[in-house]
Amino acid sequence: MNEKASSLKKGSVLVVGGGIGGMQAALDLADSGFKVHMVQKDPSIGGTMVMLDKTFPTGDCSMCMISPKMVEVGRHLNIDIHSLAEVVSVEGKPGDFRVKVKCAPRYVDPDKCTGCGDCEVKCPKKVLSEFEQGLTVRKAIYSLFPQAVPNTRAIDKDNCLYFKKGRCRLCQKACKAGAINFEDNGKEIDLHVGAIILCPGLDRYDAKVRGEFGLGRWKNVVTSIQFERILSASGPYKGKIKRPFDGKHPKKVAWIQCVGSRDPRNANPWCSSVCCMYATKQAIIAREHDAKIEPTIFFMDMRAFGKDFDKYVERAKNEYNVRYQRAMISTIREEPGTGDLLLRYAAESGKLIDDIFDMVVLSVGLEPHKDAVKFAKIFGIDTNSYCFPVTSPLQPVQTSREGVFVTGAYQGPKDIPETVMQGSAVAGEAMALLGEARGTETIAKELSDEKDLTDEEVRIGVFVCHCGINIASTVEIDKVFEAVKDLSGVVYVTDMIYACAQDSQEMLKQAVRENNLNRVVVASCTPRTHEPLFQDTIRDAGLNKYLFDLADIREQCSWCHMGHKEEATKKAIRIVKMAIAKARLLEPLKTDTVGVTPAAMVIGGGIAGMTTALSLADQGFQVSIIEREKELGGLLRNLYHTLEGNDVQEFLKSRIAQVQAHKRIKVYTGIEVKKTEGFVGNFKTTLTDGTKIEHGAIILATGGIEYEPAEYLYKESGHVITQRELEKKLAMGEKPKSGGRFVMIQCVGSREEPNQYCSRICCQDAIKNAVAIKQRNSEAQVVILYRDIRTYGLRENYYKQARDLGVIFVRYEVDKKPVVEREGERLRIKTWDYMLNKDLVMDADWLVLSTGLRPHPTTDKIGEMYKITRNPDGYFLEAHVKLRPVDFPSEGIFVSGLAHAPKNLDETISQSLAAAGRAGTVLSKDHLSVSGIIAKHRKDLCMSCLSCFRVCPFDSPYIDEEGKVAHNEVKCHGCGICAGICPAKAFQVNSFRDDQILAMIDAAVECETVK
Amino acid sequence: MVKVAEPGVQEEVHSIEKPHETPPDWEPNILAFACHYCAFAAADLAGVMRLSYPSNVKIIRLPCTGKLDYIHILHAFERGVDGIFAAG
Repeated sequence: MNEKASSLKKGSVLVVGGGIGGMQAALDLADSGFKVHMVQKDPSIGGTMVMLDKTFPTGDCSMCMISPKMVEVGRHLNIDIHSLAEVVSVEGKPGDFRVKVKCAPRYVDPDKCTGCGDCEVKCPKKVLSEFEQGLTVRKAIYSLFPQAVPNTRAIDKDNCLYFKKGRCRLCQKACKAGAINFEDNGKEIDLHVGAIILCPGLDRYDAKVRGEFGLGRWKNVVTSIQFERILSASGPYKGKIKRPFDGKHPKKVAWIQCVGSRDPRNANPWCSSVCCMYATKQAIIAREHDAKIEPTIFFMDMRAFGKDFDKYVERAKNEYNVRYQRAMISTIREEPGTGDLLLRYAAESGKLIDDIFDMVVLSVGLEPHKDAVKFAKIFGIDTNSYCFPVTSPLQPVQTSREGVFVTGAYQGPKDIPETVMQGSAVAGEAMALLGEARGTETIAKELSDEKDLTDEEVRIGVFVCHCGINIASTVEIDKVFEAVKDLSGVVYVTDMIYACAQDSQEMLKQAVRENNLNRVVVASCTPRTHEPLFQDTIRDAGLNKYLFDLADIREQCSWCHMGHKEEATKKAIRIVKMAIAKARLLEPLKTDTVGVTPAAMVIGGGIAGMTTALSLADQGFQVSIIEREKELGGLLRNLYHTLEGNDVQEFLKSRIAQVQAHKRIKVYTGIEVKKTEGFVGNFKTTLTDGTKIEHGAIILATGGIEYEPAEYLYKESGHVITQRELEKKLAMGEKPKSGGRFVMIQCVGSREEPNQYCSRICCQDAIKNAVAIKQRNSEAQVVILYRDIRTYGLRENYYKQARDLGVIFVRYEVDKKPVVEREGERLRIKTWDYMLNKDLVMDADWLVLSTGLRPHPTTDKIGEMYKITRNPDGYFLEAHVKLRPVDFPSEGIFVSGLAHAPKNLDETISQSLAAAGRAGTVLSKDHLSVSGIIAKHRKDLCMSCLSCFRVCPFDSPYIDEEGKVAHNEVKCHGCGICAGICPAKAFQVNSFRDDQILAMIDAAVECETVK
Repeated sequence: MVKVAEPGVQEEVHSIEKPHETPPDWEPNILAFACHYCAFAAADLAGVMRLSYPSNVKIIRLPCTGKLDYIHILHAFERGVDGIFAAG
């Protein structure tokens, strides 16, 4: 890191809130040379995501994803977590803020506490658990949840017997470390930081306010977050779906959507954005737990607007028999004595139906915390009338106070990937603000020397994970334990509830030291996500990180052999034995480092590419923008106003001017990329005009195109236009005639096979134009034919505004699409009206088609060039749908904008800033370490037959001065194609050597060695 | 049947030509070689999606299926593996 102590700006950032958004921001900043102070109100970080069982639309286990991140935050040298803490005052200016933080007393000394939990066992006082949503109890000395970070328990003063009655102190007696301190008075700390990031998240709507739903009165009515805990393997019912009333397994379960949302009269006017999807997820997961469950979701509009969401809903309908019933439920009554619940609703036909359910889940919405006004005042930021911070669609993460950024649900309701995106986005903004102070306040990790293994016999430790009940309910852990404990080389075997939790990492290190282990096998989940975590842990314990193997007994065993205990256990034993066989032959590997070219190449000069480029250039890196068209701007050139009313063309003009004036940005227009060589940190690109660029990161911002409709007489009648064409007409000042009629059709070319996805922008576009028409002439008529109106988040206001202005909304179903005919000069549109239950026929002067988005035609070509997969719809597939939304599996390449999926302008800008933040973590490093898993070449065996030379996709073998084949290890990716083809076996891939693979084959067929 | 001088050899040749009878409850032992980036990820995805398949297949992770060598396949058959699935 460069020492720039002379900088006037501080090289540290305050992150307020420890949810997934805050964690992402903290990790990005700390990984790129900034000191981070994380202030968290709760005793542990984690936020809302830790309470969730699974996540949509992939059904990934939430805790399994976030737990390694929490561990990473907890162990990061440059992140200080201040838990049970709140900011009390902020003074100063961007780059130089003085912040006072008040930490409440924990009554347990984190320096002495080992997290053993003996105190908790002894504590006699039981309190309803907030984390488990009151479905079970915790103790007065407690940790929020088992994987809590920091792992120090806290005493709840309001419930502790000692504090209330002056005697007890059982925890103090139980604590062997002497960590309990009843005299703890908390503390006030002063921080001096350069930027502030706010990510306190949102609260959930208190559905008890709505007495007609009977929450708190009827026991089998639960909130969605309670149901999330019921589903969770580590929840109050251990993953068994039961009714709180009598513990019976429910059969008919109903979800009621929009509880506390989209209801300006009784609750909050906005849409909470996530409830449609989490209800769908909960219905699917419930069915997976118990196939007898019959889920029904009562909803108003199905808002499955995200990437792959519509497919998820279709799957729920078709594969899981989830019933979606469009109806508003006004009241729930309990059938006396049975706990069953009676719901009355109007069916499609208008008939009233009484239906009895065993259990009802209220899909509660999100709202700002109760103290949101005070919170905003402390930081000196403006809020809107709903207490959300004021941001602009053009600067989505910037608050009204410069240097104070906002991210996550607090900025507006949103799901996990968008929160993570904004987390990286604020990190990018803070990096751009504080670029020159990078590295002034961070410290580097000093690793102890690696243990020398020369002349040491193999001593393997095996750690078998229960993963809550994810593994343990299918695989009999004790049998695995028994089967491997006597294998040759195995000297230590143990099991763990969650191997990835922070306390387990400590146990692992301790076991390595105490038993003098020199190889470690963990049997848990997939190496694709968890290997780095365990490798870091054993490195901390003094072992070379490659002396590790992970046996995947979850994804590849327990999860796909559910209900087949015996077979699954047999297979798990085999998998662990194979890992042990390999572990015996593992050798310590050396890792090299390479330099980094501090420059980026951005492909695509639309708003996504330009935003990323500006942020990276402000961070201090050289940026080249490659745009195949003659001018910058992309699709945004066709856009005139945002839904919120911002002038887009003005904004675009200023952005282009900024890009062209920036001394660190070079723009290439009318040119494409010909080829890129190299690897993360060291790319070399040749453009079609022969220009060569050296850069350390690549950002794919190749954008999308608008669908050109082939339906509804488009191109056949001059009166059929697209929303974009209408927007242009309106922007040119056209005033609609009185009595003139505009009919709009939604979802043209979207949400049906083969394009089974929502284009996300069309509902807002239609409403934006409809409002504009009505505002110019209230005598003009607008009818919108829609399938579901998807004005999610605070956009719901504009939907209401449109209805208030007299825009008529008529729903249609995909199997009964509107029919358009020419009627002289005018158009005649026939559609089925589900309210009247008959055909509606209307004449129109203009038919406006809301056309969707498609991936850019170059997406496939670029994808092949950089070896990046596309999803079934043709958009780039990110590294991880939830937690790595702008990364790719290939390091050093990032995505932003429409190339990733359809999205609105503000979301594109957020994602582009995020790509800049992520790229900043790579480019800010002086050196990157090269993986130890590369092919090793033995010249003494090599015959220089050139087989490797021909097949290597990375050009790493070369001809040296002696005219013989040599190997450039820096270019090597360790794929091992050379090793497969080499007739002399002169290539062997580290950790995948032939002897290691043969040993695994032997172990797979009962040929293992026993002591 | 005509007796030949070396009946042992005759029988050995005979047994090679005629495959063993498959017992009714026999389950093949299948070994899969999977690329870390695609097929291994697909196997993970199968788990995440809770897709069920027979448990008699074990996966050996390779950095790329291009790493697969004929000696791995021959060695596996030699040790009694009944089928090999290479995916990448």
